Amino acid sequence: MSDAMVMPSSRRKTATLVMLYTVLVGYSLITLAPFIWMLITSFKAPSDVFKIPPSFVPTMLFTDEPFANYTEVWTKRSFVTFFLNSAWVAFMASLGQVFATSLAGYAFARLELPGKNVLFAVVLATAFVPVEVTIIPEFLIMRWLGWIDTFASLIVPSFLVGAFGTFMLREYFASLPRDYGDAAYVDGASPFQIFYMVYLPLAQPALVSVFVIAFINNWNELLRPLLFLNSPDKLTVPLGLMSFVNQYEASWTLLMAGSVISTVPLILIYILTQRYILQGFVGGGVKG
Amino acid sequence: MTHRRRVMITALVFLLPTIVGTLIFRLIPIGWSFVLSFYQWKVFDTATFVGWDNYAHIFRSPISLGVFVNSAVFSLIYVVGSVVLALVLAVVLNNGLRSSAFFRGAFFMPFITATVAITLAWRWIFSTRFGVLNNILMGLGVDNPPAWLADPTWALPAVALVSIWKDVGFYMILLLAGLQTIDPTLYQAARVDGAGPVQRFWKVTVPLLTRSLFFVLIIAIVRSTQTFEITYALTNGGPNGASTTLAFFVYQKAFVDFDVGYAAALSYIMCVILGLLTLVNFYFRRRWVHE
Repeated sequence: MSDAMVMPSSRRKTATLVMLYTVLVGYSLITLAPFIWMLITSFKAPSDVFKIPPSFVPTMLFTDEPFANYTEVWTKRSFVTFFLNSAWVAFMASLGQVFATSLAGYAFARLELPGKNVLFAVVLATAFVPVEVTIIPEFLIMRWLGWIDTFASLIVPSFLVGAFGTFMLREYFASLPRDYGDAAYVDGASPFQIFYMVYLPLAQPALVSVFVIAFINNWNELLRPLLFLNSPDKLTVPLGLMSFVNQYEASWTLLMAGSVISTVPLILIYILTQRYILQGFVGGGVKG
Repeated sequence: MTHRRRVMITALVFLLPTIVGTLIFRLIPIGWSFVLSFYQWKVFDTATFVGWDNYAHIFRSPISLGVFVNSAVFSLIYVVGSVVLALVLAVVLNNGLRSSAFFRGAFFMPFITATVAITLAWRWIFSTRFGVLNNILMGLGVDNPPAWLADPTWALPAVALVSIWKDVGFYMILLLAGLQTIDPTLYQAARVDGAGPVQRFWKVTVPLLTRSLFFVLIIAIVRSTQTFEITYALTNGGPNGASTTLAFFVYQKAFVDFDVGYAAALSYIMCVILGLLTLVNFYFRRRWVHE
């Protein structure tokens, strides 16, 4: 510290700033490097991949067909099927989460029912039980229902329960003023109308957070699709990528093109809805 | 019908999906799994009741004991690494720099990106001969860089490293939210009293951040026991089981070896360990957190 004490204050400030920015820029490089390397590799000719030292030049960009890896993955390796499967499952499951958790969150925050606090405690407590405990019976239940190799196994549970969304929306509905509902009640609105016409529109930002976070989680889900789906035309993007690894381990150019395709939707969603995502994670988290 | 009754009926209808879902996908599986843990059952066979045999076998088998050691090592690297790094980044970002929103957004990105895709990019980076990491290391004068994912010593730390890289932004955001609740006049007061940056960090920031720190610690510990996607896509638990942790072992036992009872017992041991860790965490939290 003594060095800093003798330094004139403006120089000390500059030194601090340089240090802070060194940390920030340094870590940004570490954050971005895998993305950049993925992108560069996806634009290389297969023969360029196994060069020593590795080249940082995306060689395909300088040929007639810069997107050849992408078109090959997309059309010839049925990535388009995986992509549509994932989009459908993630979209429907996220819709289901908004449906189930907005109803439950509102009921827990604003409606009276004997035993509802016990139920809320059970929902939260069971969410802490690791998936490894429940996954075997879950698989057996899906088999019993005849839902193995159907998207219902991934979508229907989302229409029923979601601890994270329920918790978040309960907090959100509880934070909205009671007066609005009271006024609607005086005007003769039913409990459902009060929910649907007064509070649900007000909760829109929180609903977007729940949807987006559920979409990201479902897009990334690996374990359940791995266990519940088997036909090649039913695979989701993560499973499709893993099947590429097993089939053509050395085709890094194709594998990285597929990886870029599966990353782009999430990055786009993140850039567009960053505020909701951060709010959702921090709001749902800090109060817990 | 009275208003009270109508409210109750509405509440029941609203909570019906949650009740059904909690019952079918949470409570029944939790109980069923516990029952299964006392049976020997290879999916296509009949199940036989074996009492505590599964549990006894787990604690006697060198393979599963190795998995416990791997899990402990993984959790230690992951929890210490991600929480310390997250704290450093959060403190740096909390200095009111004009570009901090950009860096915050960039650091959070790995957390929400496609897990399997980015893990495959890491797999390619770690590749022994043609991987960019080893070529950089050799460029820096390291003669025999490790084979990483193919090396029993380095595979587990590599999985931990990718997991830290992926999650650190999330913990940073949570800590940043905690930092922003600290009253800035406290720092001015400390400065007037002659406290340098290091002292201000230990005497003001850390004590006032204990609440967020413990919260992040609990999440990090829980997540450290549940790594699956990254292990699956990076090493598949190998080489020779060197990077297999408990969660991955449960999956292998249940769905690769079809030894369902054994896997159920493993999952319950995992659950108990997790519960104990959380209790320890809460005990220290009561002693150290300034409410």
